[in-house]
Amino acid sequence: MQQYVIKRLLLVVPTLLLVSVIVFSLTRLIPGDVVVLMFEEKAYAEDLEALRAKLGLNQPIYVQYGIWLSQVVQGNLGESLWTKRPVLEEIARRLPVSFELGAMAIVFGLCWALPIGVLAAIRQDTMKDYAARSLAIIGLSAPGFWKATMIIVFCSIWFGWAPPLQFTPFTQGPWQHISQFILPAILLAFGASASIMRLTRALMLEVLRQDYIRTAWSKGMGERRVVVKHALKNAVIPVITIIGLEIGQIAGGAVVFETIFGLPGMGRFMLDAINQRDYPVMQGLNLLAASTIVFVNLLVDMTYAYLDPRIRYQ
Amino acid sequence: MDAQHGNSREAQGLSRRDLLKAGIAAGMAVSAWPLYDPPTLWGGEAESPKRGGTLRVRGFDPPHFDPHIATATFTQSTLSFVYSKLVRHKVGGNVSPGKFSVEPDLAERWEELDDTTYIFHLRRGVKWHNKPPVNGRELVAEDVKFTYDRFLTEKGNGNRYLLDDVDRIEVMDRYTVKFLLKEPFVWLINVLAYPLSTWIVAPEVVQQYGDLKKAETAIGTGPFILERYEPNVKSVFKRNPDYYLEGQPYVDAVEWLVVPDESTGLAMYRTGQIDCGPEASWAVRQQDLDSLKKTHPHLMYQDFQSQSGHVITMRTDMPPFNDVRVRRAISHAIDRQALIEAVWGRGEPTPAVSRGLAEWSLAIDQLGPGAAYYRYDPKEAKRLLAEAGYPKGFKTQLTASSGYGRDMLDNAQLILRYLKDVGIEAELKTQEHGAYVATTVQGKYEGMIRGPLGITWEPDRRLYRAYAADSSSNIGHVNDPTLSAMVKAQRRIKDLEARRQLIYDIQRYEAEHQYYVYLNSVTITGTWQPYVKNYSPNQSYDYGNRAAALWLDR
Repeated sequence: MQQYVIKRLLLVVPTLLLVSVIVFSLTRLIPGDVVVLMFEEKAYAEDLEALRAKLGLNQPIYVQYGIWLSQVVQGNLGESLWTKRPVLEEIARRLPVSFELGAMAIVFGLCWALPIGVLAAIRQDTMKDYAARSLAIIGLSAPGFWKATMIIVFCSIWFGWAPPLQFTPFTQGPWQHISQFILPAILLAFGASASIMRLTRALMLEVLRQDYIRTAWSKGMGERRVVVKHALKNAVIPVITIIGLEIGQIAGGAVVFETIFGLPGMGRFMLDAINQRDYPVMQGLNLLAASTIVFVNLLVDMTYAYLDPRIRYQ
Repeated sequence: MDAQHGNSREAQGLSRRDLLKAGIAAGMAVSAWPLYDPPTLWGGEAESPKRGGTLRVRGFDPPHFDPHIATATFTQSTLSFVYSKLVRHKVGGNVSPGKFSVEPDLAERWEELDDTTYIFHLRRGVKWHNKPPVNGRELVAEDVKFTYDRFLTEKGNGNRYLLDDVDRIEVMDRYTVKFLLKEPFVWLINVLAYPLSTWIVAPEVVQQYGDLKKAETAIGTGPFILERYEPNVKSVFKRNPDYYLEGQPYVDAVEWLVVPDESTGLAMYRTGQIDCGPEASWAVRQQDLDSLKKTHPHLMYQDFQSQSGHVITMRTDMPPFNDVRVRRAISHAIDRQALIEAVWGRGEPTPAVSRGLAEWSLAIDQLGPGAAYYRYDPKEAKRLLAEAGYPKGFKTQLTASSGYGRDMLDNAQLILRYLKDVGIEAELKTQEHGAYVATTVQGKYEGMIRGPLGITWEPDRRLYRAYAADSSSNIGHVNDPTLSAMVKAQRRIKDLEARRQLIYDIQRYEAEHQYYVYLNSVTITGTWQPYVKNYSPNQSYDYGNRAAALWLDR
C-alpha cells in the first residue's frame, strides 16, 4: 500500500505540471489582448508597447510561463494585472461564498430530488409521476440566467419583493446573509437536482422490480418500510456518485447566479477576469480548479486501493 | 355644519348599525387614500434638512483610486465622495439638469489679474480627513500646487489636455495660489470645476504610497471619508465630521454598491434596496421607464437631455468625405428621429453642442441654412452624391467599438442601411474597445466612425477638440481655417453673451459644413425615492457633492 501511495503521489507531479501548461496556454488562446483593453484606461503607460513591457507580456511565452511557474511553486499565484491585488488573497476571500452557495444548493437539491424521485417511481405513470418528470425537464432545460432574471424581475414587479441583493457577511447580519443565499441556492439546486431526481426514479423502478422487494411485499410489510428501508437504501448508491458529477454543474451555474444575486464569489471573479483578460487571475482560478480535481481523484484512487487490494498490486 | 351635526350624534351615543356604517365608510376612506404620500415637487427643498440615515446607491468598482491616471468614470465617480476641488458645479434640489454653474469649493473666491493670471484664495481651516499620514492637518496652498504639478506631469494622465494652457502654478502665501497661463483661456474656472482628475490630493499620501492606486490613499478634504472598500462588493463612505460646509453631509453614510447585473439593479430599486435609480446618473433605462412608472408612480422622475450624444465622424481630409456635398448627403440620408425611436427610446437631434448643455446648445431649427441638412431626404442625398461625382454611390467602411454595448452596434447597423438606400456601401468594422481607443479614437482609421460624443460641461471641450486644426482630438481631421479661428477666438472672449453668440455661430457653421454628422442626444430619466430630499439629477461624475447636499426624510 505504501509503495502504491508513493507511486501515485509521484504521478501527481507530472500531472500538475501538464495541468499548469494547459491552464497557462488556454488563457492565452482567448481572443483579445489585455494590453489593448487596459490601454483604454490610459492609466498605465504611454503606448501599447510600453504597457506590454510594464506587464511583462513582451517576453517570449515560455519565459512568462517559467516566471509564473516559479511563483506558483512558491505558493504565489501572482497578482491581478488590473487591480494589482494578490490572486491568492482574492481567492481566499471569495472561496467561502462559492462554497456556501454550492453546499446549500446540494443540500436543497437532495432534499427534494430524492423524495420526488422516489414518489415518481412508486407512483409510476400517474399524474404525480408526470408532474415530477416535467419538473425535472424544466429544471434541466431552462437556463439559469433566465430563471434567475425572471424570478427577480417578476417578483419585484408583482409583489414589490426581491431577496436582499447586496452581499452582507455572516458576521454583520446572519439572517440577511443566509436569506441572500436561499433563492440562488434553490435555483441552482433546481437545475442540478433534475438529473438526481431522474436517476433516483430510474434506479428505484429497477430495484422495486427485484425479487427481494416482491418478497417484502408478500410478507405484508408496510409501504413505507419497503420503499425506504429495502428499496431506497439499495437504489441510492449510484446516486451518490452522480452528486459528485453535479458539483461541476453547480460550479458552472454559480457564475451566473453569483452575478445576478450580487454574491462576490469565485464565479463572478472568474467572469470578470475572463472579460478583462486578466491572465494571472484566470490561470490561478483554473489551476486551483484543476488541482482540486487531481487531488480528489488521487483521494478516490487511494480509497479504492484501500478497499480493493487488487488495485494496488496491479 | 356636517361636522357639528356628526358631533351632536356622537354625543347621543352610536347604534351598532351606525358603528358598522361608520366602519365601512372609514374602510372605504382608508382604501381610497393614496398608498404613498403624494411627493412634493423637487423633493421638498423648502423643508429643513434632516440629519442621519444611510444612502444606498448603485455605484462603481474603481479599477484603482488614482485620479491623475484615470480617465475611467468608475474612478472619478468614486473619488467624488472623498475629495474636493478648488471650485465645483452647483448641486442641490434647485439646480436644473443641464446647468453647470460654478461655485466655490476649496477656493472661497478667485480673481483674474489679467488674461493669463488667476488667483485663488483658499478657505481657511479646511481639514484633511483625520487619517494618517495627514491626520486632519489644515489644507494649504502647497497642497494645491502639488496637486496640479502632479496633474500636469504624471505620465499617462489622459485628462492632461484639460489644462494644456496652464503654464505653472505658484504659491503666493499659505492660503493663496496663482495659476499662470500660456495664453488666455476663459474657460479655466469651468474646467477646474470638472469632476475629472481635478481633485486636490495630499503630498504626504503620494510620498508614503508612491502613487494613489490603492484604496488607502483616498484621503481628501471631501464630504465623506472612505471607511471600507470591498473590491467588487461596495465602498462605504462615512460622514466627514470636519467637512468645511456647516451641517453637510446630512446622511451618516453612503453605501456605493457594485451591482453587475442591470436587472438586479432595477429590482433593488423597485424593492427599496437602493434609494436612487440604478443606472449611471442615478437614472432608469428608457426601456424600463413605462413599467417602472406604472408600478411605482410614487417615485420621483425627472427627464433631461444628455450632454453627450451620438455622431458619425469622417476622414474629412480624404475623398470622398473632403467634399461637403458628400457629407451633406450623408446627413440627409439618415432619419435621426427613426434612429432615436428604434434604439434610444427618446432623444433629440443635436448640433455640435449637445442639447443637454442647455445654456449653449442651439435647437435644430435655429441652425440657419445648416438646419436643412438635418432633414431626412434620401432623394436629395442621392442628388448631392451625383453632383459630387458619385451617382452610383461609393464603398467605404464604418468603424464601431464593441465596448459601447449592443445599442451602439444596432444603431450602426441601421445607419448602414440608411447609407445603402442612397448608394453608399459601408462595411461595418467592429473593433474591440481597447483597440478602438488605441487607434480609431486617435484618428487612425479609414472612412467613417460611429461613436458616442464624450460628456462635457461647457462647449469648449467639444468644439476646440473637434475643430482646432492643431488639436490632437480632431479625429475628423478637420482643417478649416475659419472654423479653427472661431473655436480659438471663443477661448478669449470674456463677455459671456458675446461668447455665447460665437458658440452659436460655430454650431451654425458646422451644421452647414457637416464636418461631423451629429445625430442625437438621448433623454435621460433621473429617478429617486420620494424621501430623498434636496436632490436634483444631472449628468456628472460628481456624485459625492450631490450625496452631501441631500437628506433622507423616511
